[in-house]
Formats: sequence, structure tokens, C-alpha cells
Amino acid sequence: MTDLPVAIASPPIGFAAAPEPPDLLAPVKLRRGLAGFAWRHPAIAIGGALVLAMVFVAVFAPYLATLDPTAIAPARRTREPSAAFWFGTDMLGRDVYSRVLYGTRVSLTVGFAVAILASLAGLAIGLVAGTIRWADGIIMRVMDGLMSIPPILLAVALMALTRGSVGNVVVAITIAEIPRVSRLVRSVVLSLREQPYVDAAVVAGTRTPMIILRHILPNTLAPMSVQATYVFASAMIIEAILSFIGAGTPPNVPSWGNIMAEGRALWQVKPYIVFFPAFFLSLTVLAVNLLGDGLRDALDPRLAKRL
Amino acid sequence: MDRRTFLKSAAGAGTLTAVGGLSTPAISQRVTARVLRFVPQADLANFDPIWGTQYVVRNAAAMVWDTLYGFDENLAPRRQMVEAEEVSTDGLTWTFRLRSGLKFHDGEPVLAKDAVASLNRWAARDTLGLMIKALQDELVAVDDRTFRWVLKKPFPKMLLALGKNSTPVCFIMPARIAATDPFRQIGEYIGSGPMRFVRDEWVPGGRAVFERFTDYIPRQEPSSWLAGGKQMQVDRIEWIIMPDAGTASAALQNGEIDWWENPITDVVPLLRKSRNVMVDIADPLGNIGVFRMNHLYPPFSDVRARRAILTAMSQEDYMRALVGDDTTLWKPLPGFFTPGTPLYTEEGGEILQGPRNLDAARKLLAQSGYAGQPVTCLIGQDQPITKPQGDITVDLLKRLGMNVDFAAIDWGTVGARRAVKTPPGQGGWQMFHTWFAGADCNATHFGIRANGDKAWFGWPDVPEVEAQVAAWFEAKTLDEEKAATRRLNKAALESVVYAPTGFFLQYQAWRKNVTGIVKGPLPFFWGVSKTV
Amino acid sequence: MLTYVIRRVLATIPVMAVVALFVFSLLYIAPGDPAAVIAGDQATPADVERIRQSLGLDRPFLIRFGEWCWQILHGDLGTSIFTNLPVANLIAQRIEPTLSLMAVTLVFAVCIAVPMGVVAAWKVGTWIDRAIMAFAVLGFSVPVFVVGYLLAYIFALQLDWLPVQGYSPLSNGLWPWLKHLILPAVALGSVYIALIARITRAAMLEVLQQDYMRTARAKGMGQTDLLFVHALKNAAVPIVTVIGIGIALLIGGAVVTETVFAIPGVGRLTVDAILRRDYPVIQGIVLLFSFVYVLVNLVIDLLYTVLDPRIRY
Repeated sequence: MTDLPVAIASPPIGFAAAPEPPDLLAPVKLRRGLAGFAWRHPAIAIGGALVLAMVFVAVFAPYLATLDPTAIAPARRTREPSAAFWFGTDMLGRDVYSRVLYGTRVSLTVGFAVAILASLAGLAIGLVAGTIRWADGIIMRVMDGLMSIPPILLAVALMALTRGSVGNVVVAITIAEIPRVSRLVRSVVLSLREQPYVDAAVVAGTRTPMIILRHILPNTLAPMSVQATYVFASAMIIEAILSFIGAGTPPNVPSWGNIMAEGRALWQVKPYIVFFPAFFLSLTVLAVNLLGDGLRDALDPRLAKRL
Repeated sequence: MDRRTFLKSAAGAGTLTAVGGLSTPAISQRVTARVLRFVPQADLANFDPIWGTQYVVRNAAAMVWDTLYGFDENLAPRRQMVEAEEVSTDGLTWTFRLRSGLKFHDGEPVLAKDAVASLNRWAARDTLGLMIKALQDELVAVDDRTFRWVLKKPFPKMLLALGKNSTPVCFIMPARIAATDPFRQIGEYIGSGPMRFVRDEWVPGGRAVFERFTDYIPRQEPSSWLAGGKQMQVDRIEWIIMPDAGTASAALQNGEIDWWENPITDVVPLLRKSRNVMVDIADPLGNIGVFRMNHLYPPFSDVRARRAILTAMSQEDYMRALVGDDTTLWKPLPGFFTPGTPLYTEEGGEILQGPRNLDAARKLLAQSGYAGQPVTCLIGQDQPITKPQGDITVDLLKRLGMNVDFAAIDWGTVGARRAVKTPPGQGGWQMFHTWFAGADCNATHFGIRANGDKAWFGWPDVPEVEAQVAAWFEAKTLDEEKAATRRLNKAALESVVYAPTGFFLQYQAWRKNVTGIVKGPLPFFWGVSKTV
Repeated sequence: MLTYVIRRVLATIPVMAVVALFVFSLLYIAPGDPAAVIAGDQATPADVERIRQSLGLDRPFLIRFGEWCWQILHGDLGTSIFTNLPVANLIAQRIEPTLSLMAVTLVFAVCIAVPMGVVAAWKVGTWIDRAIMAFAVLGFSVPVFVVGYLLAYIFALQLDWLPVQGYSPLSNGLWPWLKHLILPAVALGSVYIALIARITRAAMLEVLQQDYMRTARAKGMGQTDLLFVHALKNAAVPIVTVIGIGIALLIGGAVVTETVFAIPGVGRLTVDAILRRDYPVIQGIVLLFSFVYVLVNLVIDLLYTVLDPRIRY
């Protein structure tokens, strides 16, 4: 109650008092810093924290592991989880805990590598397709063609050409993921091309590479980084599936998919061999998906429609 | 059209197909009691038992084709398709007379000329057959039921050769099929055995179906392995391929399959707990694990490198990886012959016994001139016997400081690649894993032969081993055979024809309502019946 | 309308051409010598050369590609290296289980996911919405084979309600057929459900904000009608799009599901073929599935005109 000309002391008899208007100008309690950020964006916070934890495990696996993950000791095969072997041993006596930790390295490496490579390649292809009109038709037909092949089959077919190795798996999955990224970049470029400021730049005589660099590229970063997280998650799952059917990383490299593949014959009697890597894989993929969702909501709510 | 009409017509089409799918349950019930569902050790990818030496092919072939003679449970050859045989006094002329009434699945009678053609094809691929052929003067059909094999020198082990169950088994096919080049696969699967192969229902990698041949006339004796009367008690046998041991184990417990040829030892405790499942040893003569090296190219072309492997390898590791913690299931094997048989010997096997010496092995390897070149190892990943052996080997070779090129391929591809003699790095190989049935491991087996180019994959060339094999063939008494076998074992170990990884037993499992299953080197389907 | 259909159909041809080129190149750049593999163990070099010439392996790439395309159009997908049977036969033998699995999964997933997405959009912001979305993200994250093993363990082994493996042809009865497909369909469908639920929710959210929804409500339309009839019809286009795109997931997931549940379908054929490097089989399967995928998406594109009368071509 501030500066009303006439002070109304109390309402006349017979009239109910109007309810208090809400205090619209009351100060909002700002939560600052990291805690505030986490409060406002729980998906990014939880997802990001878990991913960081996994990265930590991957980097420090040699210190966190209790035994050599490749040490074979048939005398102590298929032991249940115990104090000596936290996750038990597999059918060759190797420590499942240490193998799962080292498996984090392979799976995260594959995920990161594919995400980065597919993003870079998809970015380049999408930019070219979006800016150079005569190339657009051809490139998009090729991308459509590749996208018509279900990603697992595409990766399987590519792996059939070579022997199993982490590098080959990365290349195979990257090729499977590039079409989607390039489509996204191309659609962003196409929509940006219509923007008035891009028109203005063209009229002003700015050359195409400069236009791309200054106007188009920054705008693709947001949707691309969201897409990159989805590619990351998808790559980890595809690698696990490839290893599961025997077409992925070679058997002597401990990846989550491999550990599960080797343990699957015993899953009824020793389910922990499948369960622990499955849990880690699911958790990591979940975290990355959460991160992606959170990024998408934070960076640009309009992306929710497109992605 | 508008949306409503579109959706309605789609729904209509859907219900029609659903209604059309209902069938009468009564018919299916009558069939199940006479159908036996079996899970074999591997996929039946091809079906020529003379061309391919895989055991799974032989096991299926034993139902579809019949043999002139067959081993009984004492490993003695007994007459099967043959009614009577005659040997001339000088041992050079063998005359065989077939039983009457034998028919092929297409209705044609089994004639002596079919036997002659089949023998020719078999002999071209079999070690013993080749030996007989080398001595052959003529092999001819005398009349419809008689044929004669005339040799230049006596071959006392003739019946053993014709009745043995080691691959390739001497199956009798129609002459027109047996005319196929022995190095090409046959295209038709017609035999005279108790079961017909139902080709239309064959799904390679999924299923193979056999149906009872009603015109089969079994012998009147009780059956004993490949000898005696093969009385079928079921009308239809379905081989269901299950590469996933977890799925097979669950299916057996649930009654969706009846008989599992080789459950892995880890699931056996689970199967034993199930009230409806029986588990027992599949074959008391067991199996011998094999680390087969390529004698043509380095490093294993040098005997010191081969002996380095014997010095370093731990048979206990291999066996534990294969069959787990149950020590009744395996034995160390300082040689190449089956424990429990009269010809078993440990002579020369000290190198495999005692504590393992990696340093000595590394020295031997260095002496052999190994300089770090990649060693290509063909390891079948989908075979429960070769995969664990392969894992142990890769670890062993790495600890010896070797540069391992791990070819993790499937068992079928191992079969194709091991036949190739090109140098490693150009598609060749330096080692692969396999196993031999204990019933096969004697001096007649191709695994122990070392005749260079003509030998089995690996092509060892050791005259001393060949001399001892010849000595065994010429032996007239059991003592002479034993002496020859002892010398053979010693020679083969000194030159390391291959490295035995140990002797192990395997289980088989079946539902309680299935009876008549016997122990043996292959699953015998005659005499097996099933109650509902 | 007709010109649109023709144009769309013609547009699939270059796509299929790309797929065909890629698939054909597989055999061309594959390591090893197919002639040697086909010739077999004991063949002489002369035999191998003979086979190489009969297969035409020494002719230029484009000619071989042209011939191969011609063969494909006549239904000859090549011959399997290992079994010597025509690839088309191998696939035909095993197509029924895979198609059944995919059909059941599709129906099941759509019937579960669409209502889930609708409810989530209706109750946006509440715990129901969050729970459904969390469930959906979980569906994305847990690999298909893990879900498969878990389901088999609980429902087949412990509770014994459903069979643990195998396939029963439709000709043997509707219920056995369905019984064998329930667990695999649930496992395979988990990812699909997650995807469809998310997109349904997003599309519904947009539609629910529209003015015409408020008008319909003001006119007295009931809640269920409002959501499932009025709003869903308008949200149909993106939902149907994602159903079409998700078929690719189904195809890929079928490979794993068939392995876990021992269903003798085309997926298992793929796994066996890849282990053996049986290139003609791999080629045939990739070609076939890509064709199916393109066809399905074509049908969906044409469905748009039915679903949304505003889309006129």
C-alpha cells in the first residue's frame, strides 16, 4: 500500500475485503553457482555427473582395478562375487571387476570417437550439401541410401570386410551414424540460408566461406552437440551389440559387449558376468541420454521438435 | 478414399488372417510322442560325410547312410550291410556279399555296384582307404549282391577300415551320387539308413529333419553302437541348432527339446537340479584336445619351437578352461592315445609332465630363430571346445613373447582356412585348435600321421613316425602293437606332430521321458524312444 | 495425387541404387579370394582359375555391377558360399519368423507407446509425466539382449508362463505362435516404445496448445475423445513418421533378439553369415531389408495424405 491519494482505512460494513494481491515484485530467491545450475537443469546435472564418473573410471582404471584384466587363471574360474573378486571371475578365471573397469575405456573411447568423427564428417557433408546447391541432390541421395540400411546391418556388413579391432568398429559405426548428423546440419543450414542477416551478408559481398564460418557454423553447434550425445549413446549400444554377436572388438580386448558375449552361455548359473557390464553400460547410456535431453532443453527449447 | 474406409479395410484384412491361422490341436498332439528333438554340437552346414571331416556331419550321416561293417561297443568291426565275407587263404582276395532286401530311400535296391562306387569315393579321402588302394589289384562287382576286392599284398585290417567310426566313415551311397568327385560335395542325400533326410525342411543354421525310412530292414541282433539292428523307435527326429548354450539349457529344462548332445559343464549342475533332466557322461572314451601346428612355415617348422610349446603349456589350464572344476572330467595326457584303452602309453611324455618351465621354453624359442613375426592362430569362436583352448593359447603365446595374430573366426571358416597351404600373412595359418574323439585315437588315425604333403592339415613330415605307424600295421599280436605304439608315441612327441592339450570327458543331457540313450563316440538314435 | 505417388516412387530408385552399389561393393572389396573359398579344400590352382572365370571375377567393376543388378531384378540374390544354396531360398525359409516378430512388436509397441505418450502430454509436468519419460529413457538405455535375458529368466524360467525360446509357425495355431513371440516382442519393443512415446508426447504437447483444442473442449467434448480422437489425429503425422523410421531399429534389434530367443529367422542367418564371411548372404539380407525399409517409408509418406487432409500433393 503505497501512495493512494485517499487512505481507505477499512472497508464499509457489509463488504468483504478483497484478498491480498500477490506480491508480484517480491525478489526471486536466486540459487547461484553450480548448485543453482544443477537445480535448474537436473538432467544435465545428473547426466553430466554420471558421465564424468565414468570418464574418471576409464582414465584411472589401472589404479582402480584390483587385478590384471587379462590374467588368465583357469584354476579359479567362475567364482561368485567375493571379497577377493568383487564382481566374481569369468570362465577363464579373469577378474570381472577389473575387466569391467577396463571395458569402460573401450566403450567410452568408441562412444567419444564415433561422436566426434561422425559430427565432424556430418558437419562437413551437411555444410556442403546445404550451401552448394548442385551437390545437394547427389549428397542427399547417397545419405538417404545409407540411412536406408539399418545401422546394425550396415555396421555388421562393414565389420565383415575386416577383422575385429577397436579402430574398425569406430569406423564402421561412424559411417552408420554420419547420415543422420549430415541431415540435421543440412536442415539447419537450409533454414538459416533464408534468414535476413545472411541475405544481408551476401548482398554486402561476404564470400561464402566467411558466411559459413561467421553465421551458419555457430548456429549449428547447439543442435549438433545435442545430436552428438545421442550418437555417443547409440555408438556404445551398437558396439555392445556387435561384440555380442561376435562382429565387434576382438575377444582379447575387454569391452562391455565382449564380457557380456562371453558370459552369455552361463547367464543362468553365473548371471553376474552378464549383469555387471550390462549395468554399467545401461547406466552410462542413460547418463548420456539424460545429458542430451538436458542440453537440448537448455540450449534451445525449439530443438525439442526437431530432435 | 477417406481415412475411415482405409482403416476399416485394414482391420478387416487383419482379422481374416488371424482366423485362418487356427488349426486343430488334436493332430499336433498325436505327432509329438513320435518326434525327438535333438540339439547337436554344431550346425549342419553341409552334408557330405566323405568330403568334410567334421564330426557333426558324420553324426547326422550315420542316420541317413548305412555301412558295410560297424564298430560295436568294443571297437570291433561287425557285419552290418554285409551278410557274409570271405578271405582267400593268401589274404589277397576279399569277397563280400550284401544282405538281401536293402533299399535306398528313393526305392532303388542297394546293389554291389553302389558299394563299389562308394568304396572308391571313400578310399580317395580316407587314410586307411588310401593304403588299401595302394595295394589294390581290382575292386569289382561280381553280381548284384556280391563284390570282390583283390589286393597285391594282404591287408589284415580291412574290416577295421570298413567299420571304423572315425571320419570319414565308409558310408554306402547310390552309385550315381558316389560318382561325384571326392573333392566336391555331393548334391543329393539319398542313403539306405534307417532315417531319411527331409531336404525340404532343412534350414541350414536352424534345423535339420529326418524321418523314419519304413522300408529299412534292421539286422536281427541287438544294436551295439554302429553294429547290430538299428531299430528306430521314433518316426521323426528334428535337429535344432542352438548356438546359445543358455537358451539350449533353458529349452531342455522346459521340455522344448529332448536331448542335448554336449551341454557345457557349467550348466550341468543346473540341469542336474531339474527334476526332469538326466545328465551323464557322453562317451567314456572321451576326447583329446589338439593344438595343431603348421609344420610348413616358421616358427613351427622348427622342432625347437614346437618343443617350446610342449615345455611351456599347462594341460591343467587347458582342461580347466574346457571342463571347469570337476577333476573327474579330465586327465593330463602325456601322449596321443586314449587312457583306458589297451594301447595307452606315456612313453616320452616327460616333457608334458612336471612343473612348467617358461624360461626354458623361451630359450628354445629363441634358438629356433623366432624373430617376432606374427603367428596366425585360427580359433573357432562358436565351438565350446575350441574357444577356451584358443583363449589359453593366446595367453600362453603372449607370455612366451610371441606376436599373436588372433583370427577369431567361426568353426566353419576354420575348416576352410586350415586347408590352405599358402604362407601366413597371405591367408595361411600357423596353428589352430580342434579335438579328436578318444575312440579315434590310435595308429590308424590321420591325426598322428606325418607323411608330409599327404598328411592332415599341418602337414608334419617325420619319417620315424611313419615307420612306427607302418610297424603297427604289420604287428601280428597285441604285444607287438603295444610296442609299436610306445615307439610311435615317443617319436611323435619328440617331433611334436601336434601338441595334445589333455584328455577330457563331456556330458550329454536328456529329458527323463526319453529312454535308450547309450554312451558312445557319437549319438546313436536307434533304440531311443520317448514317452509322452 | 497420382503424380505425387509416381514422383515418390521414382525418388526411391536412386536411393535403392546407392544401397545396391554399397552392397555390391562389399563382395568386391572383401579380402580373400571368393573363388578359392568356393573351390574348396583340395582344389588345384587350375580349378580355382576355372571357377574365377565362371564367376566372372576378372571383369571390370561396372560390368559386374550391371550383371549383378540384372540378376537381382530377376530375383536371383546369389548363392551362399557355405551351403551352396540360393540366398533367396535361405531368406525365404526364414522370413516368416522375422516378419512375425516385427509385426507383433510393431503392434505391441504402438499400442503401448502411443497411449503412454498421450497420457504424458496430458499430465505434463506431473510425476506421471516424469515417470513415463524416465521409463522411456530407460528403454533406450538398456540393451536389447539384456532385457531379453531378464525377461526370459523371470517369465520363462522362474514363473514358467511363457516358452523360453523357439518359434511356432502360424499354421500350427494362433496361440502357440503368439506365445512364443510375446517375450521377444517385449524385449525388442522396449527401445521402440521409448522412441514412440517421446515423439508422441512432444507432438501431443504441440497440438494440445492449439486453439482448436480449447474450442473443442468449450464445445463440450469429453476428455478421452479430446485426447485420443481430436488431438491424436492432428499429431499423427510426426508419430507415424517416427514409427516408420523406427522400423530400422526393429530390423537391427531383430538380429540380437533372434539370437537370444533362438528364433530361426533372418537375423540369425545374418549372424551366422557374418561369422563365416558368407558375403552373398550378407549382401542379400542387407539389400532385402533396405528395400523393405524404403518401401515402408514410402507407404508412410503416402499415408500422410490419408492422415492429414491438409497435405495435398
